[in-house]
Amino acid sequence: MDDLKIKKKYCLKTNKKIDVLEILNDLDKYKPRRKGWTWRKKLPKGTLVGPFTYNQISENLENSQPLPAAHYFKNIDPQPDCIITSEIASGRFEDDIRRFRMAAYHGADHIMVIRTAGQSHFDGLIEGTPEGVGGVPITRKQVRASRKALDLIEDEVGRPINFHSYVSGVAGPEIAVLFNEEGVNGAHQDPQYNILYRGINMFRSFVDAAEAKKIMANANMLQIDGAHNANATAKEAWKVMPELLVQHAINCAYSIKAGMPKNLIALSTVPPTSAPAPCIKIDLPYAVALRDFFSDFIFRAQMNTRYMESCTREVTVSHTLNALISRLTSAHLQSTITPDEGRNVPWHYNSIHGVNTAKQSLIALDDIKELIEIKDEGILKEKVREIKERAILFLEEILKVGGYFEAVEKGFFVDSGCYPERANDGIIRYKEGGVAAGTIFKRDSDYFAPVCSHFGYNNLSLAQKITGKRIVGKDLKKESKDIKKEKEIKESKNIEEINNNQIKNIQSIEKDIYEKQVNKEIDNKVCDLIYGCTLCVHDRISYIDELDEIDNVNVRLKENKEYRLGKKVKPEVQWAGDGVIVLSMFLPVDEKTSHFASLKIARKFGLKEPEVIHKQIMHPAEGTYVEVKGIVPFSVDLEEIEMPEIIPNLEPEYIERIVREKDLKVIAATVGEDEHSVGMREIIDIKHGGIEKFGFKCYYLGTSVPIDKVIDTAIEVDAKIILISTIITHGEIHRINMRRLNQLAIEKGIRNKVILIAGGTQTKDQMAKEEGMDAGFGRGTKGIDVASFIIRKITE
Amino acid sequence: MQREDDFKIRREKIKDLSDEELKERFWELANKVVEPMIEIAKEYTSSSIERSVLLRMGFNSLQAKAIVDKCLELDILGKGAGHIVLRLAMEEKVPYKEAGKKLASGELIEKVKEIFKIKA
Repeated sequence: MDDLKIKKKYCLKTNKKIDVLEILNDLDKYKPRRKGWTWRKKLPKGTLVGPFTYNQISENLENSQPLPAAHYFKNIDPQPDCIITSEIASGRFEDDIRRFRMAAYHGADHIMVIRTAGQSHFDGLIEGTPEGVGGVPITRKQVRASRKALDLIEDEVGRPINFHSYVSGVAGPEIAVLFNEEGVNGAHQDPQYNILYRGINMFRSFVDAAEAKKIMANANMLQIDGAHNANATAKEAWKVMPELLVQHAINCAYSIKAGMPKNLIALSTVPPTSAPAPCIKIDLPYAVALRDFFSDFIFRAQMNTRYMESCTREVTVSHTLNALISRLTSAHLQSTITPDEGRNVPWHYNSIHGVNTAKQSLIALDDIKELIEIKDEGILKEKVREIKERAILFLEEILKVGGYFEAVEKGFFVDSGCYPERANDGIIRYKEGGVAAGTIFKRDSDYFAPVCSHFGYNNLSLAQKITGKRIVGKDLKKESKDIKKEKEIKESKNIEEINNNQIKNIQSIEKDIYEKQVNKEIDNKVCDLIYGCTLCVHDRISYIDELDEIDNVNVRLKENKEYRLGKKVKPEVQWAGDGVIVLSMFLPVDEKTSHFASLKIARKFGLKEPEVIHKQIMHPAEGTYVEVKGIVPFSVDLEEIEMPEIIPNLEPEYIERIVREKDLKVIAATVGEDEHSVGMREIIDIKHGGIEKFGFKCYYLGTSVPIDKVIDTAIEVDAKIILISTIITHGEIHRINMRRLNQLAIEKGIRNKVILIAGGTQTKDQMAKEEGMDAGFGRGTKGIDVASFIIRKITE
Repeated sequence: MQREDDFKIRREKIKDLSDEELKERFWELANKVVEPMIEIAKEYTSSSIERSVLLRMGFNSLQAKAIVDKCLELDILGKGAGHIVLRLAMEEKVPYKEAGKKLASGELIEKVKEIFKIKA
């Protein structure tokens, strides 16, 4: 009986929504299934997927949504060899989770959760699940729930998913610990970002960074740097290329010294410019120079944000060209920017569009380097060399002025001159200034920290004395050999006075409590001193659930319960039940008028809070294209929606087999006084995906064909199927024609041998049946719809 | 500072370096730039680093913050928050988690002052 009480393990079903309550259930006991970064499993060159061979792909997903055109290619969904990133920023983690699932289902395996505005300056960890702005507050509960959801999602799609956020701001080391403990797989970490863009004191940023990087390295987390922000900030982004190399180098060199291996250090690089600049000519040499100098590191190719406006089409083209640069050079990760980032916080479907732009472009460019080669001479080589030399001169001048901190004080960075040119518009920060200035403290000689992955001076021999426990197999002298002032270090006298009884006492107390948790693997680690730190023994983590009674996920889930449980439906772009929709319209007026006219139209539609999110002049006088967003003030009860039963089409292979077996012939004609032929051609022509492609022998009799000619020809060639096309008229001629076709077929004695089908833009199945037809097909019908009906009827 | 592009003059000294030499020079300079910075990181700590040590010792974020704030008040963060908690535990003969919680709640301040010989 006990077995029945064991709760069945929750897993995702592709036809069911993810249950946020299941995610939150027993969260305090959840442990991540792994730590560290995971790459895609590449497939050998020449792997066959559907009808094509590929050279730069990875293992297929078990469940996924292929590109829209895939149904022409046996629904294949080949996955590029590199990781694809999706940035998620809904502001509520319970909605983030649903977007993770959508993004993963389209091929994203690097989920980057954007932090709420202001978290950089929060001195400590945030707990619980408060709502964020432009991202979520990163907390233990949010991270744990997100990782748990991603575990379920990776089981659904059949590929590991890397979870990522930010180790920056004034709480970097704490966030690094949190991420290490909770199985976050990658993070942005770059002290230069703190200094330049968050105004955090430079000493604090670099001191904290060394600790954070060492903690990240302990869990094999992938680090992404922040250099690309210079590109996104500088007035003339294409001129900061030498500086970008310098910023990358500073973070890379510093990371290595903090204990990170090169294969966990990723450069975040963006093609610096966009059309109408001749961008490939500028972006390609930069990409080559960077990959030459940083050949041992990981490349995270990001898409350009600097020149994004509100036109999602323009952005998509820019990002496709960015992916071209990735394929012409190299990328381990292809990040994506949502095409709507230039106008609002990314929306659900735009996140997916971003993922698909990357997937589509990378697959389209499969093995492009086998076909074309980057020239190793001429303008490209000259430009590559020039960027490198300018970067070296930049580094030389940093040293000449006294070092990095002095260079920042002198405004070297994010100056829009192409170094050594200086435009005098760089970002200036002062050594003694910034957020958290004066908050680093010199470690005393008796300083120690009894935990793993601690960077810098650590008096572990004193720690051993105090705890009475030895770190087995650890050479403490070696540990501190690169500490400059080692000779000056003397343990404080009072430590020598500790008597042995005290040592034994403390040792036994700690041992009793933690012995059961001690994992053999933690031997030879610093945390042996305290019977395991949280990086080594997950059970030692102290979990906090919620601190705010009002601003938390439970309250929000109650508020929008009816939308989550599928009782009601409302449009949404970001949060369950947000009600946001977009109206697209062309207004034949000038730009200014279009703005106010579109708002008035949106209000007349009943939309609340209408806002113009995109305008594009088609012609200054003739008209403007406008997109307006607004909130739908009502919802629809799902139980009240009437849906016709939809019969799925048959498999094309099956249709073709039956058609050939039975040698099926079709008579097709536009009947009555009607010269339209386009619709019928769509249904029969092989060129338009019509029924000819299944092997039907089609006799097209033309337009304005009399009904008796249709019947006579059918008898003559022994056709089993008759298709007539007719337009709707006020005189009900369409009905008369259908009726006559049926009557004539009866009179000639063939009605039970033929299938009669009528079609036309406004034809309805019900109406056609009333007039004696077997079926009627209206606007949007495809050849396969008609073919599936015919075969079902014939094989009945 | 405003400066015209004098790249052609400045590059004179490096223009004859081979591509390999150029790369070596780049990394040599980058390492020189970060060297003094990493030395500072070895010798200094911060409230966030110390809170991160306490998290690793099993304290929650609220306790870690309170303990580090007490250390800051007493101006003894340079000893290491983990060190202070362990010393306190040893002197008080209690598990260190208990000692840390007491310190976080403001108890045992006098004891810390005594152990680390803090006047006033």
